[in-house]
Amino acid sequence: MFTQFFGNYLFNEKLVTKQQLIEALEMQKFARAKLGVLAINAGYMTAAQVDEVHAEQQRMDKRFGDIAVDKGYMTESQVETLLSNQKQAHLVIGQALVDKGYLTNEQFANALAKYKENNLIEERDFTDDQNRKIDTIIRNFYIFNTFESDVEFFTEYTSLVFKNIIRFIGDDFIPLAPEAITSYKAEKISYQMVNGKGEVFTAIEGPETAMIEFAKRYSHEELNSFDELTRESVAEFLNLHNGLFTVNMSNNKQIELQLEPQISKEEIELSTKGSMFVMPICFPFGTISVIISSDKIKAE
Amino acid sequence: MEIKDIKVQISDDSVLVRKKMKDHLASLGITTVFEAVNGNEAVDVYKANKPDVVFMDIVMPEKSGVEALIDILAYDSSAKVVMASSVGTQDNLKIAIAAGAYEFLQKPVNFDDVTKIIEKIAERK
Repeated sequence: MFTQFFGNYLFNEKLVTKQQLIEALEMQKFARAKLGVLAINAGYMTAAQVDEVHAEQQRMDKRFGDIAVDKGYMTESQVETLLSNQKQAHLVIGQALVDKGYLTNEQFANALAKYKENNLIEERDFTDDQNRKIDTIIRNFYIFNTFESDVEFFTEYTSLVFKNIIRFIGDDFIPLAPEAITSYKAEKISYQMVNGKGEVFTAIEGPETAMIEFAKRYSHEELNSFDELTRESVAEFLNLHNGLFTVNMSNNKQIELQLEPQISKEEIELSTKGSMFVMPICFPFGTISVIISSDKIKAE
Repeated sequence: MEIKDIKVQISDDSVLVRKKMKDHLASLGITTVFEAVNGNEAVDVYKANKPDVVFMDIVMPEKSGVEALIDILAYDSSAKVVMASSVGTQDNLKIAIAAGAYEFLQKPVNFDDVTKIIEKIAERK
């Protein structure tokens, strides 16, 4: 999981100029990352080895992958894996900057390594127990074929929700069996539309006491009643999570999403002609539900 | 210019984010803080107060942070607007950089980064 765009990072670190970054962002629509950049990203080859293979390519009419395999830098199966990752946004930007000569392979390799160090939260940052928990939840998700066309999208979403809950709220929860339903009585709820791949409804809902505790843990503020600050702490968690989700969908799946401002309501009924997916999460302080649907939801 | 004399504008629809920022700014001794809760207000508050730096959320009601950034820079091309968001779509990023965003902050905001930006602005004033 990434926490910000590679482009943001390069700009803030003054590794590229504003003009260079804009050019690279323009180019990325038509570009794909080439093997050299992909091999650096995967850690299969060093920048020096990539430069060496490029130099070799000037002398003989052979493909990068073939030369790299001949030299023993990569296996054929590694080359194939890389070719399936050609459109990852952060790599495409890197490629555009290297192609333009704004970054050398070595500068790109260093910047990418630092970017990952600071902005990538990997599986290994979670304990085995936490990872098992996330896996179990995701497996439960597949019981539902209601969301056939969106299984992958929802799986990514659910997996990230739980990672963010572990990061920002805590891992002392038990996920209860998720349900696909057509109507739901919401007590306190914050919801937000995520648009781009259709319109996706996302929400966090729960009874007052549980929502106050959830908000307290997220905000580290002294919250004792369900006031504006409490409500907005829950909404901000949802907004933060959805924001991180958009970065990851862009980096990993090349899907560009937009968020609408989040909305908080009390005592409303959610209903849909399609279905919505409700995942109750049981904390010691009460049960919070994460709700997601790609169908039109009426909230009133 | 001394850090405590810096005038800061916080533009964010979340009362939590505004409070956290204000608490942090207060810890730096900064007392002149203007708040805006949507993009339209962000532009109005800027025009009325001419702050030294604006922290701007991207996803806001009425007018997005990116649109407000464009309006503020049209009014004052030397405005220093820091885009703070958990969302960056690549398109937003491109528009914000092209429009002249001063810097980007990632949410949840790391307050050391805020301090660094404030220090940099104080030095140059």
